[in-house]
Amino acid sequence: MTLRRLPVLMMSSLVLIIAVCGPWLSAVDPDTPVAGPFETSSGVHLLGTDVLGRDTLARVLVGGRALITQAAVATVLGSMIGLTVGLWVSMTRRRTAARFAVLGVDALAVFPAMLLLLVLAAGLPGGGAAVVAASVLVSVPFSVRVIRERATAIVATDHARSALARGDALTVRLRYDVLPALAPAALAEAGIRLVAAVQVAATAGFLGLGASAPTANWGRMVQENSAGITVNPLPVLVPAALLVVLAVGVTFLLDHITGPLLGERDRVGPDMVGVAR
Amino acid sequence: MRLAGWLTMRVAAAAATLIALSAVVFWATEELPGDAVGTSAGPNATDAERAAIRVSLGLDRPAGERYLEWIGQAMRGDLGESLLTGRDVGEIIGDRLSTSAAVLLPAAVVIVVLAVGLGAAAGLRVGGRWDRALSAITLGLVGSSDFLLATALLVVFTAWWPVLPAVALVPAGEELWEHPDLVALPAIALALGGFGAAMRLLRASVAQTADTGFAEFARLNGIRGVRYVWMVVANAAPSALHGLSIVLAGLLGGSIVVETLFNVPGIGFELSQAVAERDVPLVQGLSLTLGAATLTILLAGDLCAAMLGRHQAHPPGVA
Amino acid sequence: MKSTTARNLAAAVTVGALLAAAGCSEGDPAGSSKSAERTLRAAFAGGGSSETLNYLAGPTALDFVRAKLVHAPLCELDPKAPDGVSYGVVETITASEDLKTYTLRVRDGVKFTDGKLLTSADVLYSLRAPMLLKGLPFTMLISRNFDMDAASAPDASTVILPAKSPIADGREVICQTTLAIPDKTTEFTTSTPSSGPFTIESFEPGQSTLLKRNDSYYGQAPALEKIELRSIPDGSARVNALRQGQVDFISAVGPAEAKTLETADGLKVTNSELPYASYLQYTMNIKAKPFDDPRVREAFRLAVDRKRIVQNVYYGRAFVGNDIPALGFPSYNTALAQRGHDPERAKQLLTEAGAAGIKVELTAGPEMPGMVETATLIIEDLKAIGVQATLRELPAGQLFADYPAYLSWPFKAGYTPPAYFEINHAPGTFPDVDALVLTARSAVTGQERLTASHQAQKLLWEKGNQIAPVFVPTINAASDRVDGVRELQFPDLSRVTLRN
Repeated sequence: MTLRRLPVLMMSSLVLIIAVCGPWLSAVDPDTPVAGPFETSSGVHLLGTDVLGRDTLARVLVGGRALITQAAVATVLGSMIGLTVGLWVSMTRRRTAARFAVLGVDALAVFPAMLLLLVLAAGLPGGGAAVVAASVLVSVPFSVRVIRERATAIVATDHARSALARGDALTVRLRYDVLPALAPAALAEAGIRLVAAVQVAATAGFLGLGASAPTANWGRMVQENSAGITVNPLPVLVPAALLVVLAVGVTFLLDHITGPLLGERDRVGPDMVGVAR
Repeated sequence: MRLAGWLTMRVAAAAATLIALSAVVFWATEELPGDAVGTSAGPNATDAERAAIRVSLGLDRPAGERYLEWIGQAMRGDLGESLLTGRDVGEIIGDRLSTSAAVLLPAAVVIVVLAVGLGAAAGLRVGGRWDRALSAITLGLVGSSDFLLATALLVVFTAWWPVLPAVALVPAGEELWEHPDLVALPAIALALGGFGAAMRLLRASVAQTADTGFAEFARLNGIRGVRYVWMVVANAAPSALHGLSIVLAGLLGGSIVVETLFNVPGIGFELSQAVAERDVPLVQGLSLTLGAATLTILLAGDLCAAMLGRHQAHPPGVA
Repeated sequence: MKSTTARNLAAAVTVGALLAAAGCSEGDPAGSSKSAERTLRAAFAGGGSSETLNYLAGPTALDFVRAKLVHAPLCELDPKAPDGVSYGVVETITASEDLKTYTLRVRDGVKFTDGKLLTSADVLYSLRAPMLLKGLPFTMLISRNFDMDAASAPDASTVILPAKSPIADGREVICQTTLAIPDKTTEFTTSTPSSGPFTIESFEPGQSTLLKRNDSYYGQAPALEKIELRSIPDGSARVNALRQGQVDFISAVGPAEAKTLETADGLKVTNSELPYASYLQYTMNIKAKPFDDPRVREAFRLAVDRKRIVQNVYYGRAFVGNDIPALGFPSYNTALAQRGHDPERAKQLLTEAGAAGIKVELTAGPEMPGMVETATLIIEDLKAIGVQATLRELPAGQLFADYPAYLSWPFKAGYTPPAYFEINHAPGTFPDVDALVLTARSAVTGQERLTASHQAQKLLWEKGNQIAPVFVPTINAASDRVDGVRELQFPDLSRVTLRN
């Protein structure tokens, strides 16, 4: 099992490294045309050139960081909101208020993700803010639901009940009884949202709703270079492959890191990735 | 009786959610820079002409007043008219909904059939060859965004293997559902995206159920073959139904990309145009429709789960 | 035992899946090929389902093409004709000596599809329709130039239009957009009487319009029996539809897609020729720093590598611009030297103006092919002369959505459809240019007018606030069975023939 896992782990780590460190590795300016459009691979331009005659390799190297950054910010924000709301709802004694909060959060799920993205991008054009906001809003209901279900179960354990009966302070109960038990689920849930957020960011790039041109973005590269796929397919295939490997890699990691921690029964496994999307 | 009460509560909550949704969408579209005057006037209009358009569209009145008027009409079933061309919004939505449904329903059916079938097959033999192969495939599908799947299908079916039409061009006077060949590619694109997630849900749920003492007990009691499979799947279904309904509802939102790339003039496609044109009544009508459809699917999922749960001899593995 | 069950189940599921897939894949790729051979299927970037047949309210290329096939034009811009226009249902247009009154003579024997003769009342109503039926601003050109309340139709074949102020180019104003519709038309349906070469057989908003030949059309009878106009907003979807033979003709092809279509078998790619190319411009707001300094404006214009834009963005399918509008029209000032690419001089000018290393933000959006791509190359060119230039890219449809904001931005993209410079000049930036344009439109002799126009263009070339690197033609692609497309700003399909 470990041996089979290795290539996937290596590939996904490589993609993560490319995404994060790529901008430092690129020797060529990714925004300046260096040759004619859609030239095929050569010694000078390893992956050929893109729709405007820019170096594809340079653009691939810089095109992942924004995606990862946006997705990471969205994931952290989403986790903060999800944990706060989820924990409060499952621990508070004000049941009616909690029920309304859950209703309110669930109502968010009714917003189609793309509608949110369209409206937000029209209001905050040209930056990552709209993408982050859309990712957070779309994923919060999912996050709250998972955290609430887990936390409710934890609070109901004998261990946690006796802490409550002892009259431990809230912070103490959180610190020693709830959070440690909640951590694996919260981590797994955050990972799922990370994958979903990368996909939202890439889709935004594809639809021209993300950061302004000439910023490279793997999703956008697929869109803008698809016209030349018969001439030089690399500017489409390489970013597409990177996106898939990234998502699969993170999902795979989740499966094998959090799976054993949570046990088959309470897994918030990668099965939920598509759901959060 | 308890079910009826629960259902009433849920429907009331859904109605309240939709009203809140309409207010938020109205406010958001209103807050966007620019308005229908700008988008319809174009770059070469004079100020006086712009002012005249503003008055004729009624956009000179305060936003609150316009919203109250709109919601009042909407309660009576009148969704207003498109700001740009005066077409009835209800009529537009009717057109678009049937077109979207022509793609979404086959996609949903394929997802459910394949997910239940393959999910059960894989979940009953966790770690088997089937399971590993399916896991790899679905992992790849889950990792691919809708736009990647759609682009890949387009490349394959336009450049290399042109056996299916890539653009949903419906002959005049006919409906999209009358043309299965036109529906095929967009439906497959949507189905591929949803199938991966749905199948993994089913698999996990079936695997959990098969792992319970209850299933063990059934096996020990000699329940075998189709009866055993059916028993496990039926017991696994309620816990998977919620996730499955979310996946199906997600098709609605994800359809914008697919509808644009395959030129399916459906709800999502229309919505992206309406937002760009700041056609507030149309955006309102379309997002309400999408919201209502999402709520209906989620509600139906929960309802099915509740009904299945009631008729079960034994509760499923997870709550 | 368990394993056999699972295998059986899996096999059943696989068969089911295959059946489902087979069910989906019935039918041939060219699904709609059953339509008659003499039907041309043409796809355009149309609107959504809010589309209407009221062409006065329709802003898309599809609206325009359909309207011109269904409603005969009064007359059309034709820079090569002696009057600058070619006539339609209006036979002649004469201006009075003082350029204050225009007289239109209506062609005899033109009939609407309901059999009624087209008279001066219909022509007068057609001219007023944009005001009466809430036309879009681009249809308002006539009411901006003529006093339409005082216009009259003294007899059945004469219309008299008093100009608001003396103008020599009244013909071009009248002929820019006006189509003939019956008097008192208030709504446009498939059965509204019309006078063009085709009539509407069926219409589905946002999807398709089926046109049928109008046998009572007064002009040259079309060879085609039917035209099916399809709306396909996404550019690559249009190309795919043509590649797969779902349509015979597509308009508004992106430059990169044109390049790959060129090599496809059985297809041909064409583009409109001058003067039918849009004026793509990047406007510097002279009220905002640093663009109040003419040296900065000149530096920016010198920084741009126009040839590279033509090659890398348009793959050769564009015309190099010289920072003044209306390239290819008769009054275009060809005596001005073509501005070249001179980054050294640009740097020097910036230093002189004390603006070396300034920050600017260019706002653009995908409103026409290559607008954003050209902007990205301009940004690169500006960076090369030391300007800290950035691009703000708006989503599709947003650039002009908030027009007051658009006007206030310091540096932004825009475009003007191919049209005469003088009529479409927006005053308010340079008073001396405005005055010259006024002379160019109203002076008595043609020579005086031309001199003033050339002088105005010279001033714009010297100190103007627009970078116009390229003029962009409309690129069309068609099956090579299609002939006879007139490539104007939007293609005219009325004389198309379709070979078998």
